[in-house]
Amino acid sequence: MGRILPFTNDPHRETRDLMPWLITGRLEPEEQARVETHLAACEECSRELAAERALASEVAELPIATGIGWAAMRDRLDNAAQQASFVPAPQPLRRRFTIRRIGTLIAAQAALLAAAVTVTLRAEAPMAPYHALGSAPAAVGGNAIVVFRPDARESDISRLLKNNDARLVDGPTAANAYVLRIPVSERAHALDRLRGDAVVVLAEPLDAAALK
Amino acid sequence: MSDGSVAHRQTGENASVATPEDLRLFAGVCARERDAFEALYRLYHPRLARFLLNLLHRPPLVEEVLNDTLFVVWERSDTFRGASKLSTWIFAIAYRKAMKALRRLDEAIEDRDAELRPSDGDTPDAPFGRQRTQEALMAAIGKLSADHRTVVDLTYFHEMGYREIATIMDCPVDTVKTRMFHARRHLRRLMDGELADWL
Repeated sequence: MGRILPFTNDPHRETRDLMPWLITGRLEPEEQARVETHLAACEECSRELAAERALASEVAELPIATGIGWAAMRDRLDNAAQQASFVPAPQPLRRRFTIRRIGTLIAAQAALLAAAVTVTLRAEAPMAPYHALGSAPAAVGGNAIVVFRPDARESDISRLLKNNDARLVDGPTAANAYVLRIPVSERAHALDRLRGDAVVVLAEPLDAAALK
Repeated sequence: MSDGSVAHRQTGENASVATPEDLRLFAGVCARERDAFEALYRLYHPRLARFLLNLLHRPPLVEEVLNDTLFVVWERSDTFRGASKLSTWIFAIAYRKAMKALRRLDEAIEDRDAELRPSDGDTPDAPFGRQRTQEALMAAIGKLSADHRTVVDLTYFHEMGYREIATIMDCPVDTVKTRMFHARRHLRRLMDGELADWL
């Protein structure tokens, strides 16, 4: 008395537990032999097996429609490749921050970036119009700053960049802002479209004239 | 394989068995071949979509988790050491991503009191026969916990053994058996009226 049997020594329970995998033919030969031996002698388990087969077949036949495609993944790969070429050390896009704090950071950052762009443009404007062989491509300045919602997906960002003919120049900055280059003639409309998008928190022009 | 498909169980050879085809494509993925990845994506897409839709019940979230999963396969192909089947490794990634997504959602993922509530009952234009049985079964599966749904789907649709499921869910094999037992019991109870028609 008082001896506790491990479950595997209880053929009734073992049969009950392993029944689903007997039905799908996924038991080891010795397990299958034990279960079948018990089934031959146990009417309750035989009835249970019949009901379980019906359940198994219904579950297997359930039509679950799937409507998702490769297009989103292709965009993501393109975007990842693009990011890799723009940002030396990629950082996660999703960060937790508060919108209020961002406002301050962005204002300060926009001013700094605008100053930097102005200085860069002034310094580079008179440069000689030739390149030495093997020289690195000239750095391209940005002319807009954008902050995406923290839950924005890479596919959203990629779509917005493509739709607005924008290129990612820098970012994410400390405040998770991205610096974009948008063709000047298109910039005002592009910024309007960006501001109207649900995943965009902020979209502002970035140059000295715009900040005056 | 076209997009927007319905996942059907492969007949004949077991659906979850790694084929030379998926290993061949995976070798291409390791060599950073985009075409091989696209083919592997299309090969796994229907099964993963079915698995994730059953688990998450939210199509937009399924799309995100499915692509997150296969993106890991692309980006971290070097971490597959061949200790398990390729399909087990990929499903384990999908399961972890799905559970993380469920935890991230600040909402209930199941209705634990569902069985205590009065049934909605049939309306006069309720569908009959097989369609009704399937709808009732889908509703019943929807009332299971995410873990129970996972075990049922991996067992009966994807035809995986309990050891493989334990690897995917990172739990002991006895836990898989217990989850399956409770899930079956719940389904039988929820499908009480329909069960007679099956036998």
